[in-house]
Amino acid sequence: MMLRMLLLAGLLALAQPAMAASGKLVLYSSQPDRIASETIAAFKTREPNVEIELFRSGTTEILNKLAAEVMAGAPQPDVLLIADAMAMEQLKADHRLMAYPAAKLAGVPPAAYDPDKRYFGTKLITTGIVYNRKAPFKPERWKDLARPEAKAQVVLPSPLYSGAAAINLGALGLDYYAALAGNGAQAVSGNGAVLTAVAGGQKNFGVIVDFMALNAKAQGSPVEFVFPKDGVVAVTEPVAILETAHNPEAAKAFVDFLLSHEGQELAARQGFLPIRADVPPPPGFPADINFLPIDIQRIRKADDQAKQRFADLFGG
Amino acid sequence: MRPVGEASLFWSLAFLLAALALLPAGRLILAGGDVEVLLRPAVGVALLHTLVVSLGGMAVSGLVGGGAALLMAAPDLGRRPTLLFLFSLLMMVPSQVTAIAWLNLVGPSLYGPGGITLLLGIEHAPLVLLALRAGLGRVPAELLEAGQTAGARPLRLVATIVLPLAAPAFGAGLGLAFVANLGNFAAPALLGIPGRYPVLTTLIYQRLSGFGPRVLGEVADLSLLLGLVAGVALAVEAVIARHRDVLGNGTGTPALPPLGRWRLVAEAGLWLLLAATLAMPLLALLGTALDRAYGAPFSFASLSLENFRYILVEHEASRRALANSFLLALLSALILMLIAIPAAYFAVWRRSPVMRGLLFAASLPYALPGIVLAIAFILLLIRPIFGIGLYGTLGIILLAYLARFLALAERPVSAAFRQLDPHLDEAAALQGAGLVRRLRTIVLPLVLPAAMAGGLLVFLTAFNELTVSALLWSAGHETLGVVLFSLEQAGDIPLAAALAVISTAVTVVLMLLVTRLARALPAGVLPWQG
Repeated sequence: MMLRMLLLAGLLALAQPAMAASGKLVLYSSQPDRIASETIAAFKTREPNVEIELFRSGTTEILNKLAAEVMAGAPQPDVLLIADAMAMEQLKADHRLMAYPAAKLAGVPPAAYDPDKRYFGTKLITTGIVYNRKAPFKPERWKDLARPEAKAQVVLPSPLYSGAAAINLGALGLDYYAALAGNGAQAVSGNGAVLTAVAGGQKNFGVIVDFMALNAKAQGSPVEFVFPKDGVVAVTEPVAILETAHNPEAAKAFVDFLLSHEGQELAARQGFLPIRADVPPPPGFPADINFLPIDIQRIRKADDQAKQRFADLFGG
Repeated sequence: MRPVGEASLFWSLAFLLAALALLPAGRLILAGGDVEVLLRPAVGVALLHTLVVSLGGMAVSGLVGGGAALLMAAPDLGRRPTLLFLFSLLMMVPSQVTAIAWLNLVGPSLYGPGGITLLLGIEHAPLVLLALRAGLGRVPAELLEAGQTAGARPLRLVATIVLPLAAPAFGAGLGLAFVANLGNFAAPALLGIPGRYPVLTTLIYQRLSGFGPRVLGEVADLSLLLGLVAGVALAVEAVIARHRDVLGNGTGTPALPPLGRWRLVAEAGLWLLLAATLAMPLLALLGTALDRAYGAPFSFASLSLENFRYILVEHEASRRALANSFLLALLSALILMLIAIPAAYFAVWRRSPVMRGLLFAASLPYALPGIVLAIAFILLLIRPIFGIGLYGTLGIILLAYLARFLALAERPVSAAFRQLDPHLDEAAALQGAGLVRRLRTIVLPLVLPAAMAGGLLVFLTAFNELTVSALLWSAGHETLGVVLFSLEQAGDIPLAAALAVISTAVTVVLMLLVTRLARALPAGVLPWQG
């Protein structure tokens, strides 16, 4: 009995981190402003000695700021939290990302993180269909957007400007996009422009990320969101530690927090689909979402060609 | 031989201009990749499109801004200060607000080159208006009186006396509008992507979104191509202006012949134009800001001030951004006015080839896409220089603004010098007056109206700036454009609208305050007065 007590105490001591994280942590994130502030505030209650310095911008702006910093030999961020895995793959190939083999991944499906543990998906952001309530029909499947009633009424984010849209293009295939183009669909610069067009009533249907449409609906905009029955594509908003991180301990604590039960519950409260199966999804998300499998490597290889074809179909 | 004070002023100015104008472009040349990228067919198409909408937009700005400036110089046009004030505000309306308001009115025909041209032309009309107005003030009233006595009709007076005399100012305004169109991203992104009409700035952003090891080099090449186009355009402008050096010493307040029976038509036209380009988009913006949810059917019951309350009370970043952007815009305007007056003096009156060349290069940063200029500044300033680290402070944004908006401050002033007679300065120099004294007592009073016009252009442009600061801001150092962009990206359209309304209101109040404070100044110094 005594021995067991001692063993238990020893195990507990081992489980305690040798040193709590502290110091400054520089985070570059493409999360919406309010979401990022809430995430940082929640992390601070867990790690009060870490001071987070946030640079928030679009994924394109973040990646190019980082590229310029790398070129000048002084990359600033410890942690990156950006929309999709495509750019993470590029950074990994350039040897910019630090492996974190001890990441606490219980409950996180293996498909959601890099096998080398250099980046980790933190949530599932699906792309589906948004429609204005005045639309002539309720779309259920992707191919409904190619119906004659939707002619010249569809707007979608251009994969030439948006990473999530590029993954969607890779997963749904060029034939589908050719059908949309034939039906007079219009490409715009990003998800915000899709919401503006559909909520504002200029177009009836749009291709958009889930939380943006669901949040607008919750605030009272005349829109509905559909998870297409023939399957949705999700990006994972991955987090990664830079090889050049100044404060890897704090960076690891931040990654662990995002993947923890607590961090995932926060994401669900913010209207995102959690990456962990043991955290229930927020209201508005059906239980039976049909996820299309995606192969980031394959999409990345075909990316240049797919974008070229898209530009031919929808104009540069 | 020049006195020592003069030489040191000259060379410190030259050094400053070289740093602001040449360093960012030079850094990009170093970063440039294989120029083969420029030979791709997509680049040729985008270049052609860029030229079409930039020239078209310039023509619209010339027509709208130039026409408005001429009409407002007629003594019998009613409410001139109000009209001028409102026309200056055109620069404050965010492009997407105007675009959406017009899309709701005329529908999808706006997508494509026609819509882009119109949007650019209207947004940049104040550049021509304010530059030309400063020039019209230099047209001597005696010449016009002589013409009238000789029996010339008003249109003939305008064509034979006013326009030739004001040509340098008109040319400066048109040149600015053209360069502003080249580097503009918002209008082609809003109307050109759906309209299948790529231009160089959208192509560059596309490449940046693709992201990868070769991208920065390609983007540097594409950006330098834009700079080259701007350089050619300004060289053309300079050649034309050289043949038109006509000197005059007007009073500062434009005095064209009265409109007579055309007065009502002119007034109706100007007010209608303002209704379509200013009132309608701003009302739509206000409507969105007062709505709880974007797109919900309009009803008085759903109106609320909640968005304004949230922005003003709860959203700390918005308040910080208003203060930061105000400070950045004001400092940029004041510093650039201080640089522009002596620099243009040396370039035009003293015919210094060094200064001419530097001012020519100063337009380059204005023609580059903002995101590319920001990348150049990161490359230049990420490491501390002489122990001073500017990265992550407001300082790096201020420096980037000084480089970007130098042309806006300098062109109207140079145009003014070209219209003015340097003999006064030469006479004072013969009497032994030093340069600083001459600048203060002779030059400053003469070019102050033009310098103020330039300063106002800088302030209004910098206050709403996004593409440069989107890469250069840091925690606590947000700009207005950055916060608006964040809110829009998150889908918080009503909140973004509320912030845009507040920033416009702040600008209006500031301009009114300046009007009150400036009563003691000579007529014509405030660009929207007289």
